[in-house]
Amino acid sequence: MRTINLRLKKKLDEIYVIEPNNLGARFLNDIYKRINIYFKTAPFIVIVPLSFIIAILIYLVFGFLLVRLVSILQYGF
Amino acid sequence: MDFRITINRKKLAQTTTDFLTSFLTVIRNYFLLIIFPYKTVRKISFSDDRNQLLIIFGLIFLYFKFIYYLRGKPYPATLLFFIFIINFTVTISFFYWLSKSSNKILFSSFVFTFSYSLLPTLTWFFASSLLYILLPPPRTISLLGRGFSIFFFAFSLSLLAWKLILVYLSLRFSTRLGIYRIIYMIFLYMLWFIPCTVFLYHFKLFRVPFI
Repeated sequence: MRTINLRLKKKLDEIYVIEPNNLGARFLNDIYKRINIYFKTAPFIVIVPLSFIIAILIYLVFGFLLVRLVSILQYGF
Repeated sequence: MDFRITINRKKLAQTTTDFLTSFLTVIRNYFLLIIFPYKTVRKISFSDDRNQLLIIFGLIFLYFKFIYYLRGKPYPATLLFFIFIINFTVTISFFYWLSKSSNKILFSSFVFTFSYSLLPTLTWFFASSLLYILLPPPRTISLLGRGFSIFFFAFSLSLLAWKLILVYLSLRFSTRLGIYRIIYMIFLYMLWFIPCTVFLYHFKLFRVPFI
């Protein structure tokens, strides 16, 4: 029983190691919490489609410049 | 005189087991950082297994060795690794120094979390160098060229986003400060890091900063 209590205490200490973020206004905190959920667990579900949308939009706006940018990036390693 | 080397088998077995365990932990954490970045960075910030650092930095050194032949041997891999280590040490020391005023912060927490935040960087650099072999640049304006460009750009953006999440979480759990202070710290960091990047680019040490 004592071991379980110690484990629970350790886990709780780990969880509450940082205070929740305070952005100064209630509506900002709400927005932050709503956005934050997507990045805490499996962020790639949001990130990958968003990246493709951004990449396609950049291609539609700048056209060939994206192709040149990728060429530069490919030399970037 | 007897010059025979005595090997403590028990100790050797223990060291090997510890190292293998750390290796598996690094692999597990890599996937957990993809699925549960928040929980995993929080757990890593309490870590004290130095073998994990050794494995991450060993992988980075292997990468530098790998690109040494690919880049036409401009600089030895050891020199690039040494510069990377200096860059990394200065970065974590800078953030540690900035947040030192707040209590209960540990330097080891910075080292562990920032080392793990190097994994997206390593993934991008390794994937880029592999793609450089498989599909050498420059890209063309053909349909396949444009398609690959969109794919590569989206891939790079995704890894950049993952990197930013990990850096933010590393700072959040290591400094234990709020979002505004963290943004301010990153801004101060950029003030010296961008000129440093230009300097490294000028001497063809790193075209894209490895951090």
